[in-house]
Amino acid sequence: MSFRKRNIGLSPGVDRNAVPNAAAQLAAPETTPGIRPSPDDGRPTTSTGTRSLDNLLAGHAGLPMGKILLVEENGTTDFAGALLRYYAAEGVIQEQKVHVVGVPEQWGRSLPGLIGSAESLDEKRSDRRKDDRMKIAWRYERLGEFGAVAGSRGAPNNPGEQDTAAKEAPAFCHAFDLTKRLTHPSITNMYFIPVMSSKESPFLAILKQLQTAITSSAANTIHRIVIPSLLNPTIYPPNASQPEHVLQFFHALKALMSAHNTRVTAMITVPLSLYPRSSGLVRWIELLSDGVIELCPFPHSADAMATSGAATSQEEPPQGMLKTHRLPVLHERGGGSDQNVGQDWAFVLSRRRFEIKPFSLPPAEGDTEAQEASAPGGMPKKSDLEF
Amino acid sequence: MPSQPPLPPLLAPYVSNLPDSSLTLVSSILGATSNWLVLRFLHAALSSPSPNAAFGSDELHNGTKKKVVLVSFMRSYEFWRTEAKRLGLDLARLADKQQFAFIDGLSELFYAPQPTATPSISPSGLGSSPRTTLPMRSPPGAVPGRSPQPAWPTVTGARGNAMPKQAEPGIAKKLHFSGRGLASLDALEKDISSVIEQQKSSMEDGDELLLIIDQPDLLLAATGPSMGIGATEMSEWITALQQHAHATVLTLATDAPLIHNASTSGGLATPIETEHAALVIGLAHRARSVMQLRTLDTGAAKDVSGVLRISRGGGLNASEESLEEREALYFIQRDGGVKVFGRGES
Amino acid sequence: MAPINLSHRRTHNLLLISKLLSLRDTASPLTLVLDSLEQPATPLLKEYIRRAKLSKVHVTLIAFETLKQPDGVDAFVSTRRKSPADIVKEVSAVYQPVAASNPSRRRLILIDSINPLLNSKRVDPGFHLPSFLGSFIAPTSPSAKVDASLVVTYHQDVPELPQQSPYSPTPISELTYLSTSIITLHSFSHVLAQKAARDRSLAPPVFGLEEEQEGVLLGRLDRLVGTGKAEGIVIELEHRRKSGRGVLEWYLLPPASRYSPQHLKEIVTLLDDNVLYNPPMEQDPGAGDEEPTSTFELGLTDRQRREREGVVLPYFDAQHNDGPGEGGRILYDMGEEDDFDEEEDEI
Repeated sequence: MSFRKRNIGLSPGVDRNAVPNAAAQLAAPETTPGIRPSPDDGRPTTSTGTRSLDNLLAGHAGLPMGKILLVEENGTTDFAGALLRYYAAEGVIQEQKVHVVGVPEQWGRSLPGLIGSAESLDEKRSDRRKDDRMKIAWRYERLGEFGAVAGSRGAPNNPGEQDTAAKEAPAFCHAFDLTKRLTHPSITNMYFIPVMSSKESPFLAILKQLQTAITSSAANTIHRIVIPSLLNPTIYPPNASQPEHVLQFFHALKALMSAHNTRVTAMITVPLSLYPRSSGLVRWIELLSDGVIELCPFPHSADAMATSGAATSQEEPPQGMLKTHRLPVLHERGGGSDQNVGQDWAFVLSRRRFEIKPFSLPPAEGDTEAQEASAPGGMPKKSDLEF
Repeated sequence: MPSQPPLPPLLAPYVSNLPDSSLTLVSSILGATSNWLVLRFLHAALSSPSPNAAFGSDELHNGTKKKVVLVSFMRSYEFWRTEAKRLGLDLARLADKQQFAFIDGLSELFYAPQPTATPSISPSGLGSSPRTTLPMRSPPGAVPGRSPQPAWPTVTGARGNAMPKQAEPGIAKKLHFSGRGLASLDALEKDISSVIEQQKSSMEDGDELLLIIDQPDLLLAATGPSMGIGATEMSEWITALQQHAHATVLTLATDAPLIHNASTSGGLATPIETEHAALVIGLAHRARSVMQLRTLDTGAAKDVSGVLRISRGGGLNASEESLEEREALYFIQRDGGVKVFGRGES
Repeated sequence: MAPINLSHRRTHNLLLISKLLSLRDTASPLTLVLDSLEQPATPLLKEYIRRAKLSKVHVTLIAFETLKQPDGVDAFVSTRRKSPADIVKEVSAVYQPVAASNPSRRRLILIDSINPLLNSKRVDPGFHLPSFLGSFIAPTSPSAKVDASLVVTYHQDVPELPQQSPYSPTPISELTYLSTSIITLHSFSHVLAQKAARDRSLAPPVFGLEEEQEGVLLGRLDRLVGTGKAEGIVIELEHRRKSGRGVLEWYLLPPASRYSPQHLKEIVTLLDDNVLYNPPMEQDPGAGDEEPTSTFELGLTDRQRREREGVVLPYFDAQHNDGPGEGGRILYDMGEEDDFDEEEDEI
């Protein structure tokens, strides 16, 4: 067991001291912004806009091109929607063509505002973390930094550069603020594809537009397909959930992705409370997707959250569990050997980030002493430290 | 980790030398996919037997020459080509040598991207679906780029005449689904059997043709009873194709919702679940062997990808042939090599 | 009493299965074979064909899932793309020449699986299962006297599709109602495992699809079968006699490798007569064959058990209702082995 992630040595852009431009050259030989080769096998990947999600994707540190990522969510929350907004916003920043299916243009105006590259935010965070260091039990320290493990290469690390630098030196993944609104010149370049109800498959028109847009664009244009809340009855007509419509759409989408397997990625969310995972239809949708991630939010009572699941006072309490059912490329090959497989994941959505970290159980409920010790802001009492 | 032989010894007896008119099922679930096992079937049939012989020396070894026709509904040719290369199989060369033919059931099955690519078949009647007649405005030849398949207009003849490779190198035929019901299945069958016959035309006595159909259950799921296709129709379709081949390998999904909902929820199962279960279980009754892939019961592990259980199917002629049933663990390495080992071994 | 009963049963029921499998006296015009992935019907159908060959019965196989004509089958009727009416026509056509040359020959018609027909989308709603099956047994032309038996296989684990009409009975209930004999097949090793569990008052294990484990279709493994002693298939027979009385019996059909194809004597035995299923009484009851032998003797002999039952527990007497306040006395009878010390011990 090594303490270093195996892929660090393989990563081309690992040299933190290199000038940003050189690093960028290494990271993106195709000079396409937002694309970098996977440290695992060199295939082109792009960022989902969420650093810790990128790092979850089977060692590729990003979503491999030509792959569909399906995000499922239980309950009535909209964490998946936040992930999708990050994904779309990242596409806008990277000047990729973003195609959004089924939602009005307001959706595009509500994308989260840019803070800077994700690395710069992490840098700041870890600065702060240094101050906090003494308070954190050493063994928890690495857990909190999970998001900073695999994806921090090939980008400027200077916190001073921030917003302006993000555009010039190609950062791979950016950080966004959900309370702000994204302003970017290319935000007008988003395409909104409405869902029309029709007697035939309502997906027919969508597919046609996607196909046309992708085949008619220049060869080096990168596309992102964003499908929020697939089959949501407020967006889709009732016949959309017929397997011959939705599954044919997924199959054709898969075909489209594999025909342009260096230029397109897609992220789709599905409400599980309407279409449960135990149904055959959803299972086929999953089988047709390359990556499947399920979000299981905790019941959202603020009080309950304060005491559940936070390993230490320094970490925000998790808001839900995240399960990976299938990961792109890895499972296509047969699955198994990824270091992240089989972990329990928790996620935290805060104003500035969506973070995925290993889930650890809180101290037992009845253990009031331990809870007091981990109460917010509470430094360990001196008596606790003395043996 | 030392590199593994392309064909793990424990697996070899089950994937090679399939008897005449036998049916082998490979079942997979969401977290335990079957592509690696399909590649092992390809390798067992196509690789030259002597370990250091290069390709092209097949003629030297006596015994039966094998050909493979692979129909894939879920994966592109690109995927199979790259993954086969990791095992030392050059599918493009094998296709040139008429030993291998790939039938693409992914790229244009339901939606043909180019209006010029006429549907390869003219289904007899039963109302044409609008899916085939998508008016596409994209100017032809507008995309020269890095896209691996600049889709140039191809007219695929119904007979699969002339060249086996028309549109793109390596792809013998692209399937198109049109219409509904039996007519559409007939058309697909004709397309596939024409490629098989093409392959057979260069076969000598004693040569064997292996037909691998990757996830034909997708066809059922994405059409279903409302389009006049059910489990019986699909399994008849498979029977018809089986008759063209020496041996047939099918991969099918056996995820719990697709198999168990039909029996447990007491008539409340959706048609997609009932039909799928009827197809898969019905085929298992016909199969000689069923190779079942699943994830570890105890959760994920770092050095185990999943569990492989090999069982005798209902169609095994037990009095003439014995097939040892067994269960083993497998592990896919990063380089594509596979370890297959018993529980407790490594 | 029991042994006499058993030998009576043995004589009668073995004769019955022999008659049924050898199609003598048209004991059962319509036999329904219910099989599953855990125990497919193939070995039983092979046995039907073998016996039919021995007694020169003409065998027709209506193939819904068989690809090639198996050995011993005289006529092979493929059903692909044929309507039920076409199938009936063809089945009677293949018998015409035989009937002409040898009118007294008996006939066996096998349907390898009825499920595809029941689940077919193509069959028109007017399809009537009873008359379809009936038309094989009762030929259309009255002049030809055919002595036909129909054996229909039904896969129990293939789900049924929802009914066209919610009020009509399901096909499987129609089939079981129509048939004169119903044979349900079980895997011998599973029957043994279930019996062993029942004997220990455990929940009987389930196999294959019933395990409901994701990714598992078949549960049979050689390991379960063990050293090969538990081979063969268990036949659960439910037969309706002409008198209307029913017979229910469990049999064991040994694997085909155990006897020669020309073997004439009855090979089927009662399941109760099997040594593995019903171990002989001389053996320690309770110690099953597969129980691991241990250095500790956990079982009791009959004598030990009787003695144990005779022991009066110390509080036994207190349990008699002697009124409140009376309980709790310890009754102890001094034995000779007790070393009673007046000064130390007090009762």
